[in-house]
Amino acid sequence: MFEDIDDVRERLAEQRYVCDRRLATVVFLATKIGKPILVEGPAGVGKTELAKVLAGALGVELIRLQCYEGLDEAKALYEWEYGKQLLYTQVLREKIGELLGPTRDLHEAATALRGQEDVFFSESFLVERPILRALRAEESAVLLLDEIDRADEEFEAFLLEFLSDYQVSIPEIGTVEAKSVPIVVLTSNRSRELSEALKRRCLHLQLDYPAQQVELEIVRLKAPGIGDELAAELVRAIQHMRGLELRKAPSIGETLDWAQALVVLGADHLTKELIEETLSVIIKYDRDAEKAREWTGSSATS
Amino acid sequence: MDRVVGDFVALLRRHRVRVSPAEGLDALEGLRLVGLAEREGVRDTLRTTLVKSGEDIATFERLFDLYFGLQPQPVTPARVHPHVHDNGGTATELRFGEDLEGDPDDGDHDHSHAGPEPIDLRRFLDEDKLRPSHDIHGESERLRLSVFGQHLMLNRNPDTLQKALRSATHQLRVKRARSFNPGAVAPEAGAEELPVELPPVGFDELVDELRELGVDERLVAALAAQADDILRALPELLKELLERRRRLAASSFDDEEITRRSLRTLLDLPPADQAELEAAVRRLGRQIHGARGRRLKPDRVGRISVPQTLRRNLSYEGVPFEPVLRRRREQRPRLVVLCDVSLSTRNLARFWLHLVYGLQGLFSKVRTFVFVADVAEVTQLFEAQTLERAVETIFSGSLIDVDENSDFGKAAEQLASGLEAGLGRRTTVVVLGDGRNNGRPANASALEEIAARARRLIWITPEPKWGWTLGGCDMPLYERICTRVEVVRNAEELGAVAETLVRDATAPGRRRAVQAPSLPPERLGEGR
Repeated sequence: MFEDIDDVRERLAEQRYVCDRRLATVVFLATKIGKPILVEGPAGVGKTELAKVLAGALGVELIRLQCYEGLDEAKALYEWEYGKQLLYTQVLREKIGELLGPTRDLHEAATALRGQEDVFFSESFLVERPILRALRAEESAVLLLDEIDRADEEFEAFLLEFLSDYQVSIPEIGTVEAKSVPIVVLTSNRSRELSEALKRRCLHLQLDYPAQQVELEIVRLKAPGIGDELAAELVRAIQHMRGLELRKAPSIGETLDWAQALVVLGADHLTKELIEETLSVIIKYDRDAEKAREWTGSSATS
Repeated sequence: MDRVVGDFVALLRRHRVRVSPAEGLDALEGLRLVGLAEREGVRDTLRTTLVKSGEDIATFERLFDLYFGLQPQPVTPARVHPHVHDNGGTATELRFGEDLEGDPDDGDHDHSHAGPEPIDLRRFLDEDKLRPSHDIHGESERLRLSVFGQHLMLNRNPDTLQKALRSATHQLRVKRARSFNPGAVAPEAGAEELPVELPPVGFDELVDELRELGVDERLVAALAAQADDILRALPELLKELLERRRRLAASSFDDEEITRRSLRTLLDLPPADQAELEAAVRRLGRQIHGARGRRLKPDRVGRISVPQTLRRNLSYEGVPFEPVLRRRREQRPRLVVLCDVSLSTRNLARFWLHLVYGLQGLFSKVRTFVFVADVAEVTQLFEAQTLERAVETIFSGSLIDVDENSDFGKAAEQLASGLEAGLGRRTTVVVLGDGRNNGRPANASALEEIAARARRLIWITPEPKWGWTLGGCDMPLYERICTRVEVVRNAEELGAVAETLVRDATAPGRRRAVQAPSLPPERLGEGR
């Protein structure tokens, strides 16, 4: 675990994740208080990445659950392994005679059998899905519930018990409590508003597009081989494009793609032609492309 | 510390940020871990534990600056009086509390009163009595001078103060400008509003309080000199404040600004209403159903599909341990909202836009149009802007002329031709308007065309049915075409519309039953 906020920053930096003090504070608190982190922000600002580097920094396992509409407990929590149960039944068929040997009537046999019922609903027949796996991990793992806003509201409600007490109730077995409290990271693109109850249980972290300086740092770190001048120009262009009221503003991921594309092309300066040729890397809509072209046109003349 | 946090939480709540007690405890726990050494650390901790939605962050930042900014910065005392209550450092400056209404325009004006020399009065007073929370928390959210006033009282000459104040306020007409009324926006010349509330009664009480605190007479005399300076500066200060207001007012006297301001108060629903509205949007989101798809798809509930079940359970020797269930899945509904923003329905339209804005966040396929005489699509505007700014843009008249007389006939025609591809089995069209065409052709055929292609056409009007027969209202004509007409005048009734939408969806067979010409006209539109 982390010792203090600076420790968080250092160890995330080791994982090549640029983070400010605000983010580090939230991460530090989450690990100390044992609360899930809810990360909200536009696509491509490093929400998912945060969970990954967190696992890397702590040297623990990352368990990931991608949420989608219709996700249910059987996929998120656990499922009974019916096939295995069936096989066991067949193997045990012969044993059953021995087991029930000295019974006198059917009633007694049924009672004896009921005594053994637990065998079939024991944990060895349980298929662990991500949440249960995180709970039963020996060492506290990082559990990433990615894009929680895509899941149904029922699923959100189902998560509440887990998020507040780190336990889940399985009807056949009872309550499973966490062996070690996992670090839970939830991400949301805010395609819909999450419920108050869920938010209340989490620490909230709003991630936005990074400031110019930070983004430059990210580009240098993640796109080695890029010239300083090109990197600066590129980041300036991206930052400007985010201000253009585009339908889909270029994310950090796209900045990096662009940087890599330019490195591959062997560019050392950003020219108008170059921007137009490679625009498809960062702009994904026709109308956005038009706006971007307009801007490059006007900025080139000025 | 818990009192400070508790206080701050109360302050957040007062500014409509919902904070639960549990979150308050988290904040305390967090502060314990992070420590109080660094202001930014405290800010980050409180932000992450108390504020859970992006919109509230701005409010939080503002209040944080205000609440914790007003605390006297602990500086080593310059002079040490041997017999003072030792509770905190010296205030290096006295500040006016910022205007809590937080006009974005004047956020950066920081009124600090730079006295001739540092005033270290606070150390002689009980810190609690000087806590800025008294100002911030005051019932009135306006700038108050009470801290300032308290210090002034060290000058044991209330008469002088009163006189000074009177002379200062003589030409200023100090009053509480609680609401901003666009109708009366141009004030008479010279009579400026000053958002200053002077503590009206506290003078004598404060003197008494000072005596109770046992402030040394000699000390008071020494301080009086300093207080005199403040007193002398007071008229200047007020003038300066007034000047600032005047500059602000001058820059904001164009129409748009007025709309914006009046809108803000209108959209500023009380928290209870806001919660109600949010709940209504959620309910609506769950309850508006789309059409049923044609294909059966695997689902959690439904009928058993024999072939798929057999295939999946081959490994269990065909024993169906894992049945595959299928049902016709409902497709996501599509919503087209057409909203009359002309003068007659404006109040309801605002409310409605509020709701549609929420809906659009909930669904992927909501298209919103506004009309008076012309139609404009505002879907993308809603996507890109905050609610307040989007509504402001709509009513500012930059999209369509909002001062026209409403002409639904024309709007329907534009919509019908512009929506070619947008209407289908899954589409519910909701029209909000009063159906008054002001003598222009009703153009029912255009609406009919929309109705024929959409799954449902629901009309929401603010006018009760008895009013339809009066002056230029084409509602009786439109009612025949619509699946249902709802009379909605408030939030509650809007909630009821959500419920009827459900009823509609659970009876898929009775599609547009009212359209059947055989029904007698009296029975039409008895949906509610």
